[in-house]
Amino acid sequence: MRPAHSFGLIICFLFVLDTALYFHVRFRQETGQRPTAHLNDIVTAGLGLTDLCLATEARYTRHPAVSDLTTPFMDHPGAIEHFPSGSFWAAPQD
Amino acid sequence: MNPALEKHLNLLDYALSSLWRRKLKNLGIITVFAGVIFLVASFQILTSSLTSTAETMLAKTPEIVIQKMSAGRQESIPLSYLNRLDGVFGIRAAVPRIWGYYFDETSGANYTVMGVERKAMPEGRRLEMAIEGSYPEAGQGGAALGREVAANMKLAGRRTFSLFRPDLSLKTFRITGIFAESTDLLTADLLVTGLDDARDLFTIPDSLATDLLVYVTNPNEISTIAKKIAARLPDTRVLTRPQILKTYKVVFGWRSGFASICLLAALAAFAILAWDKASGLSAEEKREIGILKVLGWQTTDILTLRFWESLAVAGLAFLIGCTTAYLHVLFLEGSLFRPVLLGWSVIHPSLKILPVFAAGDVLLIFTLSVLPYLAATVIPAWRCSTISPDAAIK
Repeated sequence: MRPAHSFGLIICFLFVLDTALYFHVRFRQETGQRPTAHLNDIVTAGLGLTDLCLATEARYTRHPAVSDLTTPFMDHPGAIEHFPSGSFWAAPQD
Repeated sequence: MNPALEKHLNLLDYALSSLWRRKLKNLGIITVFAGVIFLVASFQILTSSLTSTAETMLAKTPEIVIQKMSAGRQESIPLSYLNRLDGVFGIRAAVPRIWGYYFDETSGANYTVMGVERKAMPEGRRLEMAIEGSYPEAGQGGAALGREVAANMKLAGRRTFSLFRPDLSLKTFRITGIFAESTDLLTADLLVTGLDDARDLFTIPDSLATDLLVYVTNPNEISTIAKKIAARLPDTRVLTRPQILKTYKVVFGWRSGFASICLLAALAAFAILAWDKASGLSAEEKREIGILKVLGWQTTDILTLRFWESLAVAGLAFLIGCTTAYLHVLFLEGSLFRPVLLGWSVIHPSLKILPVFAAGDVLLIFTLSVLPYLAATVIPAWRCSTISPDAAIK
């Protein structure tokens, strides 16, 4: 087999894999998440939730949507932001 | 076969054979390059997915939230403020809520304790659909727990547990239900109880609440009503649904510290790679070009050959990097970034999100990685292929 053909096969394999992954995710979106989305809407509306539960270590990473920009620095005068998850989030812009 | 196509296939054959001759070096380059692309693409996919998930899951978030502020901090809001909203047209309902954080000293976990009057909330009557068990009735000392809270408490079959009030007296709760697993990304750390029980736990006086949730008749008037509320209650912060949703659109981005480190590391690795390539060809590569020119190859042929070589390396690395990044988020829940995302959190909610990789993101990563690599490899080849063959061989 020519090297170009072998290389083409590898590229084709990766493209087929990517396409399969794409349709796998689309399929899961269409089927698996429909009942879940319904329950999530009920919980969000029923409890008045404003944030995703991702990092629970600090109040400003647990509830960034209802926190001030200055919340990480409010512990005491001169306080620095020290929670690791804080580094993952950009400051919300107005 | 078309002669032009046949020529390019032959050049590609030669380019691949040439790469295979120096396979150790080239496989190393592909691995490093794919690793850099993997890092950047993983972050991009994870943050896009989180943004998209937040947009979907928080679509029914309260239309307006009112928090009382004092000395730059949030404090409990007097229920008498509800009377001051009476004259604002367009308000359908205003509901007080009590919530806060409870630090469990035994495990070091933070729980979010929430007390709402379910009958006053939209969808409140249907909350039981999201709970395995029942919703705690007001004043009964019941609690519905998020799955991670229940797991963290190590209940071992017990149906009751106690939490400390601020004066260190114990408040006992009876577990009425556990939130469904599919709602984990919203409820993992929640301990939901009745309004009075939450008030009792935090020892908040009857005249106060943590915040007020306002629902409007016409969603198009949210911002107008929010402005009116802010004018009537100047010591409060008024948050609207669009503002809450906007937070998640901007909060995950390249400007966060961790993302900047990822991007800088990737750029540094790429710069070293490009520097190595752009600083010139090795003596062996120059000699090879000289011999090809003696055999009758034109400068354009050599440039095409180098282009195919670079495209093969960069294209393969790009596809491998993007595919592994997608797999990383889809099946491993972004496990490489989880330690940073969760930090010191004791409660670890599952991150079962479906990856979102928009065409714009693919194009951006392709433009930032493959195109500069092509330029960095073709330019030295052009410089070398324009000198005379005998000088190159010497």
